[in-house]
Amino acid sequence: MNNKDIIKITLNLVAICAIAGVILSVTWAITNPVRLRKKAEELQAALKELIPQAQSVTQAKTFVSAGGKEGIIYKAVANGKTVGYIVHAYAKGYSSFIEMLVAVDPDYRIIGIQILSEQETPSLGADVEKKWFKGQFKGKTEDRLVVIKGETKTDIQAISGATISSRAVTNGVKAAIDTLRAARAKDTNL
Amino acid sequence: MKTNFMATSYKKLILNGIFSENPVFRLALSLCPAVAVTTSVKNGFLMGVAVLFVMTMVNITVSLFRNLINPKVRIPAYILIIATYVSITEMMMRAYSRTAYKQMGLYIQLIVVFAIIISRAELFASRNKVLPSAADGLGMGLGFLGALVLVGAVRELIGNGSIAGFHITHGSPLLIMVLPTGGFFAIGLLMGLFNWIDQKYYGGRPGGGGGGGHH
Repeated sequence: MNNKDIIKITLNLVAICAIAGVILSVTWAITNPVRLRKKAEELQAALKELIPQAQSVTQAKTFVSAGGKEGIIYKAVANGKTVGYIVHAYAKGYSSFIEMLVAVDPDYRIIGIQILSEQETPSLGADVEKKWFKGQFKGKTEDRLVVIKGETKTDIQAISGATISSRAVTNGVKAAIDTLRAARAKDTNL
Repeated sequence: MKTNFMATSYKKLILNGIFSENPVFRLALSLCPAVAVTTSVKNGFLMGVAVLFVMTMVNITVSLFRNLINPKVRIPAYILIIATYVSITEMMMRAYSRTAYKQMGLYIQLIVVFAIIISRAELFASRNKVLPSAADGLGMGLGFLGALVLVGAVRELIGNGSIAGFHITHGSPLLIMVLPTGGFFAIGLLMGLFNWIDQKYYGGRPGGGGGGGHH
């Protein structure tokens, strides 16, 4: 291979990368606003679904969640009374940060949880999105957030083969409740 | 393989990808996604459409620039072209088809390394004009799409008792068919059926231009 060849090859690859870069930037510029808009709509729908009786769900406070990502505490109000809180938080899973919503009533009893995004192993860790798993959290208090391998009615049953992801969600829910408790202790208006 | 094609040849090229050189059943290429995503008709269809788009566009692009790409770096060049189209597909899905993206996101990125795409770029598009290359990509893509839908249908029917989400049977189906093991069963059975039909009605020769079945 002589010098002329090396230059030719370099130019070849540089040209392809440059063209690809332009095409990808344009696609990104077109699709990203749509993606963000749909994501925001999904979040609104998920908030509404968690506490349906709330007349307004407003952002009350932000905090630093797992991985330095921004977590948000929402306050749900109906007829002038606080009916619950929703914490938008992240938890470190097996292969990704699991993004979730945790809804609790003012006494910290869990109303429900929702998984917004995750990249866990399909058919294993990704099953944290399944109804049976998420449903286990409903009505539980913080002291019952213990992951058990095998059947359980009182605690959280791990997804078989995906204990790490199951634990990540459970600990994430616990951390979300702790964050909310600390925030309310500091700010009595919350 | 440098030939001039007539109108009838295009039809032949497309049919070639669907039947006599079907990527999954005859060439046994890209079996990994054929097993991984075909737990239902819908998933198989979505993956098939993504591959159809990427394959056709890659074939057209490679053919257009075949005289400009230096043979010494042709493989990296093809990979870059494939990766570009896969990224476009992924971004589009993320914006316009979010539920599908949630289910398939991980596998869409894997299209970059599908053997069937790079093998068509290398074996066909780099040696032929644009239109025949487009026809080849279209045929191969349709063949892949059809195979994935078929495998998905067999697995969904036996494993879940439904086809494309519509329940057909009652009672407990054979769960193993939606597990990875069932993917191999379904592909093996369909491949056998394909060969049997080919032998019986067309007196076809067994095995096409096979090769390793990686990804």
